[in-house]
Order: sequence, then C-alpha cells, then structure tokens
Amino acid sequence: MLEEEVLMNEENDALRGERQPLKRGEPSDQSAPLIQLTDFSAFYGDVEVLKNINLSIESNKITVVMGPSGCGKSTLVRTLNRMNDEVPGFRIKGKILLDGEDIYAPGVDPVLLKTRVGMVFQKPNPFPISIYDNVAFGPRIHKLAKNKEQLNAIVRESLQYAALWEEVKDRLEKNALGLSGGQQQRLCIARALAVKPEVILMDEPASALDPGATYKVEELMVELKEKYTVVLVTHNMQQAARVGTSVAFLYRGELVEFGAASDVFENPKNPLTEKYIRGIL
Amino acid sequence: MDHSNVRSPEGAGDNASPTLSVTVPAWKQPGVISNHRRRVMKGRIVEVLAVLCILAVLLPLGDMIYMFAYRGLQVISIPKLTTITVGSASFVSGGLANAIAGTALLISLAAAITIPIGVLGGVYMSEFSNDSRLSEGLRFAADIMAGNSSIVLGYVGYLVFVLYFGWGYSAAAGALTLSILMFPYVFRTTELALRKVPASIREAAIALGSTKTTMINRLVLRFALPGILTGIILAVGIGLSETAPLLYTALFSNYLPSGALFHEPIGYLTYVVYVYSQLPSNGAHDLAYLSSFLLISAVLVINVVARVGLRKLSKV
Repeated sequence: MLEEEVLMNEENDALRGERQPLKRGEPSDQSAPLIQLTDFSAFYGDVEVLKNINLSIESNKITVVMGPSGCGKSTLVRTLNRMNDEVPGFRIKGKILLDGEDIYAPGVDPVLLKTRVGMVFQKPNPFPISIYDNVAFGPRIHKLAKNKEQLNAIVRESLQYAALWEEVKDRLEKNALGLSGGQQQRLCIARALAVKPEVILMDEPASALDPGATYKVEELMVELKEKYTVVLVTHNMQQAARVGTSVAFLYRGELVEFGAASDVFENPKNPLTEKYIRGIL
Repeated sequence: MDHSNVRSPEGAGDNASPTLSVTVPAWKQPGVISNHRRRVMKGRIVEVLAVLCILAVLLPLGDMIYMFAYRGLQVISIPKLTTITVGSASFVSGGLANAIAGTALLISLAAAITIPIGVLGGVYMSEFSNDSRLSEGLRFAADIMAGNSSIVLGYVGYLVFVLYFGWGYSAAAGALTLSILMFPYVFRTTELALRKVPASIREAAIALGSTKTTMINRLVLRFALPGILTGIILAVGIGLSETAPLLYTALFSNYLPSGALFHEPIGYLTYVVYVYSQLPSNGAHDLAYLSSFLLISAVLVINVVARVGLRKLSKV
C-alpha cells in the first residue's frame, strides 16, 4: 500500500512537467473569483442537466446554490471537484477555472483536484473506524505528515476548527459511529479540512440533523469562510439567508439569478426567483 | 369504561339472534370471543408445526453426531492418529496418519490456489467491472460451477490433469480439482461482501482524493473482511467433505505423502469413510467411524472458530 502511494506521488511529480500544474496555496489574485464557470454545460448522455452556466465564486465567501428539486444544484456542485467523472455518459462543455486554471483540461489529475476542493455530504458518512483514523485518513494517503507528531497536530487542528475537539479529545480511538449525527457531520467536516483544501463544497450538510446540530454546523460554516471558500447547497432558505454571502438560484439547469444574499431574498429580479422564495414554484 | 352507549337492539331476546346485553361491552360479546380464540389457536398450531420442523432437522443431525462421536471416541487413540493404514480388504489395521496428512495437504494446496483467485476475482467483479455482458457471463459461469455434480468434476479432473497433463494420480491433480469445486464459493461471497460496503463510504473516500485502489485496500476490503472470511471458511468446509473429485484424481495411498505433487497418489479421510465402511473388517470399520468423527469435528470446529473470530472482527 505504501509503495503504491509513493509511486503515485512520484508519478505525479514526474508528470507535472507535462501536465498543467495545479498548485496548492493561496489564490494569486484575491479580488478575482476563485472559481469561475464560463458557458458551462453538463450532460448525462443526451440530457442536458446544466445549461450554459456563467458563475463566479469568490474566495472567502459562502456562495449558496439554491433551487427546486431536480434543478441541477447537486450536479453543479459535483462538477466543481469532478466527482461526476465516474458517472457513465457524463460529459461537459465550457470551462471551470479554479484559480485561473481549467480543471477539466486534459492533463489535470482529478485526484489532486479533490485535495484542493473538498466535499461534505448530506448524510454524515464517517468511516467505521476510530475518530482519529477518520481525520487522519486524508493526510495519510496524501503523505501530508512526515511523522506521528505532525499527524497528531493535523488531526487536532482539524477537529478544533470543526468545533469538535473538546468533545472528542479524550476518545479519539473510539469508533466514529458512536458519535451523534451532528458530531458525525462535524467529524466529516474535520476530515475534509485535514487535507487542507481551498474550497469546501457542502451538499445540504445540515438537512439530516436536528436544529441544535444544524445551528452548530451553520456557526461552523460562518467561521470556515475566514480561511476557506464555501459553496453551500441547501433547500433551507432561512439557512441561506443566515449564512450566505451570495446566492445563485438555479431552475431546470439554468442559472436564473445570482447576487448578494440580501438582494436576492429581499429584491429578487426574476419572477421565478420570487416564486421560489415565496414557496409557490 | 362507560358502557352506557351499548343498548339492546330491537327484537333483542328472541331465539333467532344472540342477545346484546347492556352490561357486557361490545368487544366481549360471544361471536367476537371465538374469533379471537380462533386466531390464538391458529398461531399456536403454526408454532408447534414450526418447532416440529426444527426437530425434524435437528434430531437426525444430533443422532448422527452422537453416533459418530460415540464410536469415534471409542476407537480414537494416539496410535490410531499417528500410524498409517496397513493392509486392505479383509485385513485392515493401523491408523489414519496417511489419510489425515493427505487431507491436510490437499486442502492446503486447494486453498492456496482458490483463495487468491477467488478473492481477487470477487474484487474485480465488485469494484472494476461495470455489469457488462462479460461480468454477467462470469457470474453465470461461477454459479454453474457451483452447481455441478462433484463426480463429473472428478471425471473431468481425471481426464485433464491425470491423463492429458500426464500428472498421474497425484496431489496436484486432486488439489486442482478441489480448487475448481471451491472457487465459486469464495468468488461469489467475496463479491457480495464487497458490495455490502455502503456507497457513502466509497464516496467519502473519493472526495478526500483517494484513488480507487487505495480506497479498496484501506477501506472496502477491511469492512468486507468478515464476509470474505466466511466465504473462505465455507469453501474449506466443502472441500474437506468431498470425495468424488478426489477419487479419480488423487486415488488413495496407504503411505504418508512424501511431498511429491505429481505422479504420487495420496490418501484422504473421505475415502476411508467411503471404502472402509464397506470392507469386511472390524479394523476397517473402526477407521471409517474415526474418519467420520474427525471430519465432522473438523467442520464443527472450523465453523465455531469462524463465528467467534468474525464476531471479534466485526467489533470494529
């Protein structure tokens, strides 16, 4: 196992000369959007699920993607870290630039991309192993720590940032499935943070949680945007209004409206947006 | 409870219809009681039938185990286990060392072949195939392999390994034939155990930037391990109990296996049961009983160890 990973890293280093480099680190230009979708369309076979999306996601903000069921918001978010690649019949048109580089360009390594764009899912999905091993999984497979102390530090920092450290610091070796739903979700967030991404995609992260846990996750999101860029998919308009900086409203695969959260909710420009907000779409 | 709303209907009290009394609540009326009693009776009858069915299965099994344990323990002794069989037909004495050693060697060889191929095949089917015609065909082929009669397999083994490959009656021929028999069980249970690992776990690993291989090695195999081991143990139990595939490939030998894999017949316990039980010799019968006892015990022990071990493993 270890040899396979060393080989993978060596391969990647060697190929980096031939591939477009996808560097980790701070975005070069803080004022330019971190992720830029340009005339982006996505297809499952013949069905066009995303139609000509032009969207800017700015760094250190929470961009909310909203819309009725089936509008393509989950698909959109999954194109940002290329999780859709494995789906048979999936193809794209257009460009998605992460920090200026097209993530769908031919030489790009989708595995490395996922270390820069992390994801948290709707239903908490910790591995059935210890809390420590859950958080350490990413750093271990990407060899982010040179020794045990560094790994311990990464695990501790990630759990602290996910506001879970105090609750689990004395039982790191216990199975993650013993945690409550809200704690499991924060563990999944800590696990995603441990690989030090730049962007965190959250696909309805609180929809399976009770209100108390939801509140904690929302608090966490607001804190996360200081260091990371968050893209949040949610059905919950109150949540979007509470935490969102910008809101993108999708309807049947098209980007209908995009703007600051307060503008979109208080003065929606598009009648579809207004209908959705009022709950009659 | 307020019964004031229960009244006598019109015409109450005549012989044609039962009387609805004011003081007895509606749910205790005569017709209603017998319905309830009938349901309870039916439930009890079915319970009794179910218990009888279980007994019908367990009693013969218990009787069989008891009989072989009784005779086997009467006969068992260190010499019986460590000396080789002497003689044949009406004069048989000695012990089972050759058969025990032969069974051990054959099973080990067969397992060494079956386990890697079966597990890797199951991994392929679960993780890398895309439910194409090819994988459907592979699955179908494995299922047919499992359903084949073992004597046909033995005959095929004879034709291919003993004759065509020219290995003669040998441990290699016997082990390979056994491994063909055992393969489908390992293959299918591995695939099923892997498929049981939830997709959410795989998704989470991929989202963290794991390659497919890493995900399989570090997570999926780990959680599927109890299921995979179950399949292996099942296959070993089946392999231990087989006679026909070995009859024409390993033949039999009264001598301890010398380690030669080719051109040397080898003994095994199931042959002793098959042949010696029919020989006109008390010594032979003793050995037959002892072999049966050893085989039953081995399968029992393997299953118990498997369950205990798996329970420990599943406590992740």
